[in-house]
Amino acid sequence: MRNFKFKRSLTLVAGAALAASLLVAAPTVASANPVCDGKVPVQTCGGATSDGAPYAMMVPANFNGTVYLYSHGYRPNIAIPAGIPVYGGYTITNTPQPGPNATVIAALLGKGYAVVGSGFARQGWNADSAIKTNVELVGAFKKQFTKTTKVIAWGESLGGFITQALAEKHPDLFSAAAPLCMASDVTPLSTMAGDALWGIKTFFDPTIKGGGYSAGAAGYAEAMGDLVKVFTVIGTLQAAFQANPSAPAWPATSKVPDAIKGIPSRSALVMVALMAGIPMQSAHFDSTSAPAGLPASNALSFQVAINPAFAALENVANAAALAVLATHDLELQAGGAIFDNTTTDYAARIADEQFIWASALSGNSGTAGLLSVLAASPRAKADPAAAAKLKTLVTHSGKVEIPTILFTGVADPVTAAGNQQSVADKYAAYYAEKWEAVKKAKGYKRPANNQLVLWNFPLEKYTKYTAAGAPDTSVPAATGTNHCNFTTSQYMAIADLLAYASANGRHLSGGPLLTKIRKAGNMTYDRGYSAPRLKYYGD
Amino acid sequence: MVLAVGSLVATSLPAHAETGVTGTEIKLGITLPLTGAASPGYNKIGNAMNAYFKYVNDNGGVYGRKVTLIQKNDEYSPQLSIAKTNELILKDKVFALVGPLGTANFTSVHKSVGIAKRGIPSLFLNTGFSGFANKKSYPTSFMVLPSYAMEAKIISQFLKENHAGKKLGIVYQNDEFGIDGMGAFKAAGIKFDVSVPYTSGTQSAATAQTWVSQLAAGGAQVVVFFGVTSATAPLLAVSAAAKYSPQWILGSVGADPLTLRALGVPLAVLNGAQTPAGNPSPNDTSDEYVKQFQEINTKYNAGTAFDDYVLQGMNIGLMTVQGLRAAGPNPTRKKLISAMETKGSSFASVAYSPLGFSATSNVGHTGYYMAVMDANGDRKPFGGKVKLYTTDSGSGPVVVSTFKRPAMPAKGLPSNS
Repeated sequence: MRNFKFKRSLTLVAGAALAASLLVAAPTVASANPVCDGKVPVQTCGGATSDGAPYAMMVPANFNGTVYLYSHGYRPNIAIPAGIPVYGGYTITNTPQPGPNATVIAALLGKGYAVVGSGFARQGWNADSAIKTNVELVGAFKKQFTKTTKVIAWGESLGGFITQALAEKHPDLFSAAAPLCMASDVTPLSTMAGDALWGIKTFFDPTIKGGGYSAGAAGYAEAMGDLVKVFTVIGTLQAAFQANPSAPAWPATSKVPDAIKGIPSRSALVMVALMAGIPMQSAHFDSTSAPAGLPASNALSFQVAINPAFAALENVANAAALAVLATHDLELQAGGAIFDNTTTDYAARIADEQFIWASALSGNSGTAGLLSVLAASPRAKADPAAAAKLKTLVTHSGKVEIPTILFTGVADPVTAAGNQQSVADKYAAYYAEKWEAVKKAKGYKRPANNQLVLWNFPLEKYTKYTAAGAPDTSVPAATGTNHCNFTTSQYMAIADLLAYASANGRHLSGGPLLTKIRKAGNMTYDRGYSAPRLKYYGD
Repeated sequence: MVLAVGSLVATSLPAHAETGVTGTEIKLGITLPLTGAASPGYNKIGNAMNAYFKYVNDNGGVYGRKVTLIQKNDEYSPQLSIAKTNELILKDKVFALVGPLGTANFTSVHKSVGIAKRGIPSLFLNTGFSGFANKKSYPTSFMVLPSYAMEAKIISQFLKENHAGKKLGIVYQNDEFGIDGMGAFKAAGIKFDVSVPYTSGTQSAATAQTWVSQLAAGGAQVVVFFGVTSATAPLLAVSAAAKYSPQWILGSVGADPLTLRALGVPLAVLNGAQTPAGNPSPNDTSDEYVKQFQEINTKYNAGTAFDDYVLQGMNIGLMTVQGLRAAGPNPTRKKLISAMETKGSSFASVAYSPLGFSATSNVGHTGYYMAVMDANGDRKPFGGKVKLYTTDSGSGPVVVSTFKRPAMPAKGLPSNS
C-alpha cells in the first residue's frame, strides 16, 4: 500500500454540537407567571416553572393560536475547564431555548406561530424532570395566551427524547410532535458511550477510567482527566494517521502486545467505531472516495481502508466527549458504575460488519488480532443497584396517538440513526397490534398511521481534497453527517409538516409530502429503509 | 355509475402494477466496478448482459416486454454499493437486481438497503461467499457461482490426487475468501507450508514482491492463489521476473487468461497453470453455448474480446430471461422469487454442474472441473476430458458427477414458462 502523506493539518474535532446554539435573551425573573416585555410585533415573556426552570415565550402580535414547544439537547451538568477540546470553558447554563436557531424562530414568528422553550432546571440527562417541566410550561403558556388552540412539540437530541416521551404520555396536550436526531432510551445510549470509551481505553490508553468515577470532587477530577486523555489519544492518532495513513503508529500510551501493534492503529480505531455502533461516514469522510490522480490500486485502498479510518477518527472524536460527560452524569444520578460489558461478545457485535469493512480492519487476521485484545482485556462491571436505578428512568414505548415526525441524519455519530430506528420499530409493532385488533373485530379500516419517518442520507461522495491531495476538513460538515446537522430549509419543512398534521390530525401524504421534502433538500421518505440497529437495546 | 367510475379507474392504471415492470419493459439493475483497481474483467459483465438482453429484445423480448439493464459503478467500494443500489431501487425503480458483484458489497447492500425487507429479487450474485446460501438470512437472493468453500474442497481433492507430497503454498484474500476457502482446505486435511494472506485493496506489484519472497523462501512447489484478478496479475508478473515458477493453481475468480495477459502477465507464465473452471473455455466454439454467445457478442457487443467475463455475463443474461419467463406473463417480485425456487434448478446454463435452487436452497452451481492453460493462454480440461466434481459448502463429499447440463435453448432464446 502506498505511504500516503498529508501535508496539511487536519482539523477533525467539530464545534460543540450539543451545547446550546441559541440562547434567547428573555426576562429571567423566576416568576410563577410570565413577565412579558409587551413589544410589538413580537413580545417575549420570561419566567420559571415551579422547579425553577427558566422559560422563554415569544408570541407575535398576529398569533394564530398554534405554539411550538422546543426541547433543547444535552448540556453538560458540570463546568469544563478551559483548554479541554470541544467543551473547554463551558459553564452550566439553563438559559431557555425556544427553537433550533434564530432564523427558524424568526420564520415561525413571521408566520404567526408562537414559540416557547425551557432551559430546564437540571442539565445532563434530565428527561424525567424535563417532561414535567414542559407539561407545566404548556399550562402556563395557555393560561397566559388564551387564544392558544394547538401545541406542537419538537426538539433535538435529548430534546428529541423528551419530545417523543411528551407525545407518548400527553397526547391530550399536544397535536403533533417531531423528535429530531433523537436519543432513544438511556441504556442503549450509555452502552454505546461505554463501549466507545472502553475500546479507546483498551487499545490506546489503559489509564483512562471510562466510568466508575468516584463521588464528588474526586469523580469530577477523574472525568476531566479522562476527557484530557481521550482527546490526547485522538490527537495522537490524528497525527499518526496524517504522517502515515497506511500504517499509522500506535500511541505511546497503548499497552497492547507488540504483535498486535503490527496491525495499523487505524484498524483498531475502526474496530472501536464498529463495536460501539458509531457510523463509518463522518462530517468530512465519506468512506467511498480517494484523491484524484492516485494509481488505481492506491485509490482503492484509500477508498476502503484509509478514508473509513479517518471517518472513524472524526466520529469518535466528536462522540468521545459526550461519552465521558454522559457516563459521569448518569453515574451521579444512578449512584454508581452503570456500564457493564462482562458478558459482551464483541466478535458477535461486529459480525455483520467485519466483511464490509474487512480492508479497514486489515483483513481477517487483523480483525482476529484486535478481537483477541478485546477478549483478553479486563471488563467493566456495573454496580447492580446503579444499573437497576438507571432502568427506572423514563423510556419510550413507541406508542403514539398523535402525528409524530422522526427525522435524523443517517451518519449522526452521537445519536446514531439506530435511535430513531428503534422508535420506528416500536411504533411499527404497535401499529401491527392495532391493525390485528381491528381485523379480529371484523373491521376493515386500517388505523391511522401516526408516524412519519424521514431520513437525511449522506451523498455518495463528499470528501473534499486539496490540490495536494489531502482531505480538506475546513469545509462544512456534509449533509446527513454530524450531530443534528440540519439546514434551515429542513427545519422549516418539518415545522410546516407539523403545522399540517396539527391542523388536520393526520400527516401530509402522497405527492404533496414528496414535493415538500424534495424542495427542502436531502430529506428522504422511504418506508423500506431500516437504519443499522444500535448494538445494544438493553433487552 | 359505480361501474362507470370503476372502468375509468381501470383504464387509467398502468398496464402492469409492479415496480420496474410496464406493459413494454422490465427494468433490471446491477452494481459492479466499472472503473478502478478491481474493474479489469468485471467491467465487461454488464455490457455482456446488456448485449444478450438486446438480442432477446430484438427477438420479441420476454412476453413482449423488452428487458433493460441499468449498470451502476460502485468502484468495488461497499459503501458506494449501498448508495448505488439505493439509486437503482428508489430512483430508477428496478424490478430486480441481477448479478450484483462482490461479497463485501452485497453484504453491505443487503444489510443497509433492506433487500429482503423490501422483497427485492437479487438474482445470480456474482460472488461465491457461501454465507449467501443461508436462505433464512437471504430469502430473496440467489447465487450463481459455486461457493468458495466448494471450490476449495475440489482443489483439495485435486491436490491429493495430483500433487501429493509437494510443498504447498497459498496466497489468499484475507476476508470472506479466506473464511470460506481456508476453512474448507483445513477441513479437507490440506496443510499449506507457506500461507500468505493479503488484504483486499493492498494488491500491487510492491506487495506482490513480499508474497513471492515468502513463497520462494518457504520452498513452495505448488501455489494456490485464491483472490481476484487484480492480485493474480502482479503475483504472476513478479514471480516471472524473479524466475520463481511453482506449479500455479489459480482460483476461478482470478484466472481469466485474457484479462491476466492484458494486465501484463507473460503468456509463458500462464502456460501450464491449473485452475478450477465451471464453464467451458470461451474459445471452445464446439460448445453450443459458447458458439451462440460469441455470435451475440459479435453483433451486440462489437469490439469486445470474448472472454470468461463476457461468457459469464451472457450466461447470467440467459438465466435471467429464463427466470423472468418462469415468473409468467404478469411478473411480480414474489412470482419471480417463487419461480426461481420451483423452476430455477432446471434452467439452461453454460456451466457444467447442476444448479441447487429449491424452496429451501438458494445455492447456484455446485461444481467445477480442473483445467490447465496451454501455450496460447487457452484453457483445456485437465487430462484432456472434463471430469466434473460436485460437492456442497459443508462436510459433504467431493464426488465425480455424470450430470449432463440442459441443452442451449434454440437460437439462445428461452421458451420456458
